[in-house]
Parts: sequence; C-alpha cells; structure tokens
Amino acid sequence: MSMMLQFANVIVFLGVGVLFLSFSLLLSSLLRPSKYSEEKLIPYECGENPVGSPWIQFNIRFYVFALIFIIFDVEVAFLLPWAVVFKKLGLFAFVEGLIFIAILAVGLAYVWAKGDLQWVRPEERYGR
Amino acid sequence: MLMDNLQSLRYFYPELTLIVAMLVVVIVDISFNRLRNVLNPLLTIAALLIAAYFTAYVNHGQEANLFLGMLALDSFAQFFKLFLLLAALLVVLGSLHSEELLQVHQGEFFALLLAVTLGMLLMANSINLAILYLSLELVSLTSYIMVGYLKGDRLSNEASLKYILFGAISTGSMLYGFSLIYGMTGSLNLYTIRDAFLSQGVQGFDQFTILLALVLTLAGFGFKTAAVPFHFWCPDVYAGAPTPVTAFLSVAPKAAGFAILVRFLFSGMTQTSGSEWGLVNGINWPLVLIGISVLTMTLGNIAALTQNNLKRMLAYSSIAHAGYILMGSVVLTGEGLKSMLIYMFVYLFMNLGAFLVVTIIYNSDRSFEIGDYHGMFKRAPFLTFAMGVFMLSLTGIPPFAGFLGKLYVFLAVIEKGLFWFAVVGTLNAAVAAFYYMRVIKAMVLEEGNGKTAPLHVSFLNQALLVALLIPNLILVVFWNPIERWTASSVKLFSGL
Repeated sequence: MSMMLQFANVIVFLGVGVLFLSFSLLLSSLLRPSKYSEEKLIPYECGENPVGSPWIQFNIRFYVFALIFIIFDVEVAFLLPWAVVFKKLGLFAFVEGLIFIAILAVGLAYVWAKGDLQWVRPEERYGR
Repeated sequence: MLMDNLQSLRYFYPELTLIVAMLVVVIVDISFNRLRNVLNPLLTIAALLIAAYFTAYVNHGQEANLFLGMLALDSFAQFFKLFLLLAALLVVLGSLHSEELLQVHQGEFFALLLAVTLGMLLMANSINLAILYLSLELVSLTSYIMVGYLKGDRLSNEASLKYILFGAISTGSMLYGFSLIYGMTGSLNLYTIRDAFLSQGVQGFDQFTILLALVLTLAGFGFKTAAVPFHFWCPDVYAGAPTPVTAFLSVAPKAAGFAILVRFLFSGMTQTSGSEWGLVNGINWPLVLIGISVLTMTLGNIAALTQNNLKRMLAYSSIAHAGYILMGSVVLTGEGLKSMLIYMFVYLFMNLGAFLVVTIIYNSDRSFEIGDYHGMFKRAPFLTFAMGVFMLSLTGIPPFAGFLGKLYVFLAVIEKGLFWFAVVGTLNAAVAAFYYMRVIKAMVLEEGNGKTAPLHVSFLNQALLVALLIPNLILVVFWNPIERWTASSVKLFSGL
C-alpha cells in the first residue's frame, strides 16, 4: 500500500497545479481590460499577416527529412555521454564508438544514394 | 555463469553475423547497380548458413548468461535459433522466384529479413524483460515494413497499417504488464522475478495487480502467436502481404512468440517444482491456457471453412495451428514442451510448403482464389501432388509429418489426464480436414476453367518443393532424431 501512498504526492501536485493555474487565469481576466480588435484575433506569425489556411497538406518529403534527422538526433544522444567519459574508457570505447558511427554512416550513405537528401528528387536510379 | 559484455561477444557470433550481413546487404544494394540482384540473395543465404553453423557447432552445449544476465545461452534457445534460421533460409529461397516481389526493388527485402531474423534470435535468447521487449519490437517494426512491401498495392498497405495498429496496442499493453511486474518485484530479470515472487510468497502481493500484469503480458505474447482473442490482424495481414512474407510470418515470429511465452511462464512464473503452477493462487492458469487454446483452434478452423482465398484460408489455418501448439504449453512438463517443439518443427515444413505452392501458382495465374485452382492436376501434376501432401500433413493424416506433431501434443495432454481436451483437438482436426480436402478436390477433381497450358515451375522452386516434401514424407519414419533433439532442448525446463 505504501507505494500507492507515494502516488498521493502526484495527485496533490496535480491538484495544486490546476488550482494555481485557474486562480491566476481568473484573476487576470478580472483585472485586464477587454477590448478586442480584428488584429488581435489573427494568429501570431512573427508579425507577418498569415496567407491562406494553415490546414494544407505538407510535402511528404518533410517526413523523410524528419526521419533522417532522428537518426542523427539519437546519435548525438548516445555520443554525448560517450564523449564525456571518453578518456577514462580508453581505446576499447573509442573503437566501439567508431563502429557505432560507421553503422549510422551506412544509413546516411543509403539515404544519399537513394536520392532522399535532395528536395527535388532526381529520376530514381535505384529500384523501381 | 554470468558474463560481462566483452566475454559475451564470443558467444554472440550468430547475431553478429546477421548484423554485419545486414549492413553489407545495404552497402551492396547502393553500390553495385547490376550485380546486387545476384549478390544480395547470396549474401543473405551465406549469412544465415554461417549463423546456423555458429549456433549449431561453435555454441553447442554451452550454457551461460550473456551480457550480464540479458541473454541466455542454452539448448532451448539453440533449438529456436536453428529453427528460425532454417525458416528464414527457406523463405529467402522461396522468395527468389516470386513474381510479387520481383515487381519491386528487392535489396531492402533481404536486409529487412535479416533484421527480423536477428530480432527473433534475440527473442529466443532473452531472459530479461527489457531486452525481450526490444527484440519483440525489432521483429514487429520490421515485419510491418515487410507486410507493406508492395508499395503500389492497396491491400498490402492496408495490411501494414492494420498490423501497426494492432501491434502498437498489444505491445503497449504488454509493456504495461512488464512495468507492473517490475514495480512488484523490482527486477526485469526473469529468474530474479521468480525468486522475488517465491521469497515473499504470492500472498505478499496484491492479487489483482498480479492478475492484471499477467493478463496484459499474455496479450503481447498472444499477439505474436496470433492466439484468440488477439488474432484479428491475422487474416487481413496474411492476405495483404506478399506471399513469401506471409509464409515467413505464419511460421517464424509465431515460433519466436511461443519461445518467449514458454520462457516467461516456465522461467519467470513457475515454482522450482516445475510440475505445479506455483504463482497466482485462486486463478487456474492451466484452465485459462486451455480456454485460449480451445478458442484459438476452434475459431481458426471454423472461420477457415468459408474462405475462398487460399491465403486467407491458410491464415485461419495458422491460427488453428497456434491453438494446437498451445495445447502443449498447458501441460507443464517436459513432455508438453517437447510436443510443442516437435509440432512447430513439422509445422515449419508443411506450412512453408503450402505457401510455396500458392506462390508458384500466383506466379503464372495471378490469383489466390480457390476457383482458379480447378483442374490444376492436369496442368501441373507434381505441384498438385506436393500440395496434396502438404494439405494432408496439415490435417494430420498418418503417413505424413503433421500426424507426428498432433500425436505428441495429444499424447502429452492425455498423459496429464485431460482426455476431453484431446477429444476437442481431434474434433477440430476433423473440421480442418474439410477445408484442406477442399483444396485437393479443387485441384484434382474439378474441371479446369479453360486453361490447359502446363504451369511453369522454375527449377529452383521445384528443388525447394522437393526439399520441403522430404521432411513431410519421412519424418514419421525417422522421428527418433527429432524426438531426441527436442528432448535435450527442453532439459532446462523439465529438470527444474
């Protein structure tokens, strides 16, 4: 049961959070003047006036780039702790890290050769 | 013997071989434009053979806990690893002349197949819930891609999406079950979990939490083995995927799923006596498994009766076979386990054989409908003969290997005194006979629909057919080596 009691902390935390937020929102809505204009209601896009609807279909290529990015994101997440203790671990860890990078490099080479790194995809040389 | 990471590498050669081969296949695929279609299959086959060699000879008879208790090296894992490598090898050979796959680029197919095989080997090895989950996800994610491999085919895409959705839910619930187990016992290692349960006694834990954790975990295993009620994805995925992939999915991940199920139940959840279910009082676990098993085989067989698409029919039949295999797990003895392994071993040959025939017929006729199989006997007598053997073997008719599997499973159940269970199994086999015979009838007795040209079967496929026919024909006579092999594979559990 003691473990369940520990979860009580979470619930208290949650309750306090909700209370605090609703209190401050309520307070500010009571205090602030409410004058609406058309400019205030348009979405904020760094000062630019938005053109058209944001509900458009994004190019599917963004997805491929995001996927490729994830690979290197993960690489950094793994290599950072490796680099921090690099000197202590010695040659073995160095070789290990190199193998890891080499495996990822194969992935990069694959993506490159498939033409996925170009925004306008060339005629597919590989595969149909 | 507990080994650290560097020491373990010596026993990790089969998996390392697959990893290296996977990378090499990718490199070959992008660097040799002309040679790659020859090199990739050769590389894949070589890698599988080398991995099998390491598993069978170099690692033979050694027992150790690798990577600080993450993986087990034992005879049980060895059986499954050889089984899975053999299945992968047969599927690679069967996929080479598949018109479905020839339409698309093949390079990634081999890399993916190696990845999924690697995942399954790890599944068979793992004794830690974390690595078990990771390897299961490796298998799942790769098979989602393989199922959707025909990018232009809507059915294939739909199958892949369905598979992802079902897979995500099941593995998610399984992970939740793992987290509850971890919360209760403070460990992810199966043996430590068992010791924690034993030392505090089951009464020391909240009964409801234990029940919830185990049911959630079983959901994940049930998904991989396609047991009712986690089977819904099965027919659509099997029908949509390229046929070689379907053949692969119907055998290999299912076997890996049974491997983790057995390991989880026997290593993690059973008391040292080994013959009793020592864990959750008040819940009759054998009865639960019997229930799942009976439901699985009955539903699979009855649903298969009305299928006209051969791939869907074989999908339901593979659900039914999962039910038969589960029968062995109900009996918590070495006999029960042994019967599971024997069943899986013969199932490999008969099911892959049936799917190979489907692939060959699709190559020339572009159809999976049973109506288009009419009159096949006149066009391809040998193919019809082979299909007949596979179908009879799947039914479990005596001179063929399928009989051996059913015999051992039923015997194990009867020895435990569960006569009615064996009767249910037998009745199910009788129901199954109807739809298997229907295929034979369509091929042999029905009049052909105009087509009279002999069906082309490539030499490779003919050789493969013969290779798959031989075990189906001779295993009943030469069952002794199989019996000895499986018996030594389950020593780990039966000796508990």
